[in-house]
Amino acid sequence: MHRYWLWLRRRARAAREIYEGLYVAPYRSQIYRAYRQEQDLFLLSAFSDLLGAPNPAAFYTLELYPELIAQFHEWHVRMGMPQAPDGGFRCC
Amino acid sequence: MSLDGDARRQVSDLLLRRPILFFGGKGGVGKTTLAATVALRSATSGRRTLLVSTDPAHSVGDALDVRLGNAAREVLPNLWAVEIDPAEEADRYIAGVKDRIATVTPPRLAAEVDRQIDIARVTPGAEEAALFDRFTRLMDDAGAVYDRVVFDTAPLGHTLRLLALPEQMQLWIRGLIGRRRKVNVLQRMWRNVAGAAAGDAHADGDPMLAVLEERQARFARARETVVDRARTAFIFVVVPERLPILETERAAGTLGRHGIPIGAVLVNRVRPREADGAGAARRSKEERDHLEDIERRFRAYPLVPVPLLPRDIQGVDDLRELGRRLFEPTGA
Repeated sequence: MHRYWLWLRRRARAAREIYEGLYVAPYRSQIYRAYRQEQDLFLLSAFSDLLGAPNPAAFYTLELYPELIAQFHEWHVRMGMPQAPDGGFRCC
Repeated sequence: MSLDGDARRQVSDLLLRRPILFFGGKGGVGKTTLAATVALRSATSGRRTLLVSTDPAHSVGDALDVRLGNAAREVLPNLWAVEIDPAEEADRYIAGVKDRIATVTPPRLAAEVDRQIDIARVTPGAEEAALFDRFTRLMDDAGAVYDRVVFDTAPLGHTLRLLALPEQMQLWIRGLIGRRRKVNVLQRMWRNVAGAAAGDAHADGDPMLAVLEERQARFARARETVVDRARTAFIFVVVPERLPILETERAAGTLGRHGIPIGAVLVNRVRPREADGAGAARRSKEERDHLEDIERRFRAYPLVPVPLLPRDIQGVDDLRELGRRLFEPTGA
């Protein structure tokens, strides 16, 4: 009984991997890109004043700084700059 | 200009019972004196009353002859007063923000986050925003900590901005919340397809979303309060002179457009029709014209004449005397 159960689970996992390979993988990068994009848009609207566009609620969104700076760090690393560029956040 | 018995009772009721009153008007028309007079009268009648000055050039302390600060202090039985200090409020706000984010900031970034927040502290809008923040909290106190809160506001432009702010901020923050929710939906989708590679989920929801929603709720409550006819009234103070009349009329239009209810117009420093022999000179032709003008322009609101006292008003006794003249008129 137990062996039969293990066999069934192996088969189920294999089937899921095939399914994911065929249907999910192509979307994975798309979803990731959409997620990134939306995250950037959010930060852009929360901190538009950093780009010179006035933000009337700037003072009410200070709690978002940790996230902004963490994302900025991720960004400059992704862009091939191991150290934060001068003039902006000094995250590292 | 005089009120019949019924109208006068209505206005007295409004001035002495409405939980939140704003006194506004052009600089120098006597807002502070009348706000203090009404607050004192209301305290004397047994209601716990807080008198708040939001004017950066405070004079409530001068009117009551006491030293006031950023913390409410009981100056007489049932009467508390506070002069909001925008700089102190901004510092307090910044300290609160640092406290709230201490647990969500990666230690590696803590110093930089601190530095950025300190930079925000010195930006031009910071103190106004902090003043507004305190202002919304004091409105929440009306009917809770105090029976009534009477605001002596800054000259009109500043005050109109303060009262319109909740509406504008609400729109802005609502936009941010919508964006943030979308981020979270996509993040969930990403986590579903990427599994462990997507990193850890927030244990108890999204703290950033929680912060934004708390702000949004506060702005919504402030907005509801300033337009609530049953709880709030804006009292204009005007004097029979041309410029205050014109500015007040414009301000009344603006408040109307923002849906803020106007309770009454107090016409300050009205001279008696005839010289009363006690020092007050008689009404001039010019003043009579201005009074007629006031009656015409503000006929939509109850108009309350406040007689000119023959001397400067200074300290609690004078305020009580003015209160008697305002609430127990002997025929003006």
